[in-house]
Amino acid sequence: MSGKRFIECPVIVFAVALVLAGCTGPQSSLDPAGREAERIAGLFWWMAGGAVVVWALVVWLAWSAMHGRVSRHTERQARLYVIGGGVLFPTLVLAGLLAYGLGMMPALLEPAPPGSLKISVSGEQWWWRVRYHTADGGEVELANEIRLPVGEPASFELESPDVIHSFWIPSLAGKMDMIPGRRTRLVLHPTRTGTFRGQCAEFCGDSHALMAFPVVVMEKDAFAAWLTAQRAPAATPQADAGPEARRVNRGRDAFLEHGCSACHTVRGTLARGAIGPDLTHVGGRLTLGAGILPNDHPSFVRWIAETDRVKPGVLMPHYRMLPSGEHDALAAYLESLQ
Amino acid sequence: MLIGGGALVALAALGFLVAASGVISTKASTGHWRITEWFLQFSKQRSVSTYSLGLEVPPLDDGSLILKGALHYEFGCRSCHGAPGAPPSRVANTMLPPPPDLGAAVPKSNPKRLFHIVKHGVKFTGMPAFPSQKRDDEVWAVVAFLMKLPGLTETGYQNLVASEPRTAEAGQLPAGDTFASLNRSCQQCHGTDGLGRGEQIPSLAGQRPHYLANALAAYVLGRRHSGIMQPVAASLDETTIRRLVAHYAQLPASPRAPVRTVDPAILEKGRRIAHHGIRERRVPACVECHDPSGRRSNPAYPSLTGQSAAYLVGQLELFTANRRGGSSYEHLMQPIAARLDPDEMQAVARYFESRETASSALENP
Repeated sequence: MSGKRFIECPVIVFAVALVLAGCTGPQSSLDPAGREAERIAGLFWWMAGGAVVVWALVVWLAWSAMHGRVSRHTERQARLYVIGGGVLFPTLVLAGLLAYGLGMMPALLEPAPPGSLKISVSGEQWWWRVRYHTADGGEVELANEIRLPVGEPASFELESPDVIHSFWIPSLAGKMDMIPGRRTRLVLHPTRTGTFRGQCAEFCGDSHALMAFPVVVMEKDAFAAWLTAQRAPAATPQADAGPEARRVNRGRDAFLEHGCSACHTVRGTLARGAIGPDLTHVGGRLTLGAGILPNDHPSFVRWIAETDRVKPGVLMPHYRMLPSGEHDALAAYLESLQ
Repeated sequence: MLIGGGALVALAALGFLVAASGVISTKASTGHWRITEWFLQFSKQRSVSTYSLGLEVPPLDDGSLILKGALHYEFGCRSCHGAPGAPPSRVANTMLPPPPDLGAAVPKSNPKRLFHIVKHGVKFTGMPAFPSQKRDDEVWAVVAFLMKLPGLTETGYQNLVASEPRTAEAGQLPAGDTFASLNRSCQQCHGTDGLGRGEQIPSLAGQRPHYLANALAAYVLGRRHSGIMQPVAASLDETTIRRLVAHYAQLPASPRAPVRTVDPAILEKGRRIAHHGIRERRVPACVECHDPSGRRSNPAYPSLTGQSAAYLVGQLELFTANRRGGSSYEHLMQPIAARLDPDEMQAVARYFESRETASSALENP
């Protein structure tokens, strides 16, 4: 018996380690990197601890009922068990939990102090339109990626033009619904740098699961430099030097010829469409297709030619039918938009 | 009960043996027995009445719709049914049953019944189904013409279907050329000037050659749907298509005369859609692909300036209903058309119709 337990022991330790390993990572509310997420994780641990105590109590009661000494309870004792264990105890525990939870709300709902970073995010089937409001009253439209300075509050305004989405960066905070026709708010206080992952958390159609985005928390200076770069228009055309430059230039023309500009903006060019994601600096993003493909040449080609297969139901039509060489040129151009 | 069943089986077996012996005549030359003929006619009448019950008849009085129907009648129907002043061919008369004289048959019918017969054809007769089952709009055009047929004189009919008087020098090709004779069937409907006869038939003059070639190839392959164009295009080979599209691309794309007066508010609404789209409904600006200058866009995208509004609205409706088909670029347009309401389709079509055409003759085919 004891030998068997000896064998089981490392297996259990390994299994627990495996399960706990799932608690870290870029999209875990148990590995918080923001003030709100820390509070929520705290609540979770309190609840988990309490649940363990209650569970142990129930198991002990069941065990003693089966194996304990059989003696006749008085009616008074029985009533005490039923009312005490069935009514009083849960009421007290749940009321305590409610008070604790409600007590957290004011801090979570508190607006960011004036002058903090303001970002509007619109959830659209199935991507994220992101607008940074700069201190001088300007606006920079980006897509499918959010960057934040560490240690500073950031105020989000969330909306949706089509169906209900939910904006959730588990590592930074709880989720907030994006509801057509109204504007919801959320404040984030990132506490450490790193790359995290956000995900739509409300079923919103065919490709709901493919609606994600990377979140990068950066040092303040690096963030300021990044935002300045994002604000700038796309780099001016290169002189027609080598084959690579020729390919990029061909891609720039193709982008306008095939009508990509009807839906996409590349600031600094004739492309001013506002229906799809802004692509001014798409080559510098971490992912493509709203967090679903790595940002590299084959992914650009795949996205352009197989759009409907990569993201079923997507509004963008596929461009499989373009003459050969065009996908390659378009991909080279988009990659060059750093 | 058992005896009755046995008798039925025996009767069926006897019938099969009679057919197997080959003595039943399928000769068209000798006609039907009276009773067979009555029964076939009776069941056809009943079937057409029943199946056409639920149809809704669109307005059929439009002159350009009647013209389009007449031109298709001339190409596809006349050889069997004849026309005012032109009896059906002798071959058609030896069919069983002989194709009816429509001048006499139409007044006894109605648009719903005619639609059903033109679209689906009639079993056990020579009447074929319409070559495309997706283009009810074309079938209605034929019905619109048929409704006018009984009152039509020989000159009236000739005025409708004959090629336009060839005053324009533009469309002339050397006589005797086989290409020229082939082109005459294009000109029958699209006009010698290529501008299209009536509002229902598109202008080809100055259209981008790449688009025209793609369209003809799509008709040949059955990827673009039309009971009118598919049979015509079926006989075209690649070389002919190249010559035809080059010919039409170089014709001057002058605006149609007379240019109708349209409410400026409608034109302004159309201009906004064409140049800015409708952002909240995710309609992109038309001109991003249908560049009016024709210089910037993919050569597979058609030019729309100066095109007939009725034709453009018809195409948008076909896209919306997923019945147009087209080249490998067709799927780009379907969802966009489906986001426009009927007023917006009208407005944007009127806007493009009113635009001065920038001749794509500058482009090299």
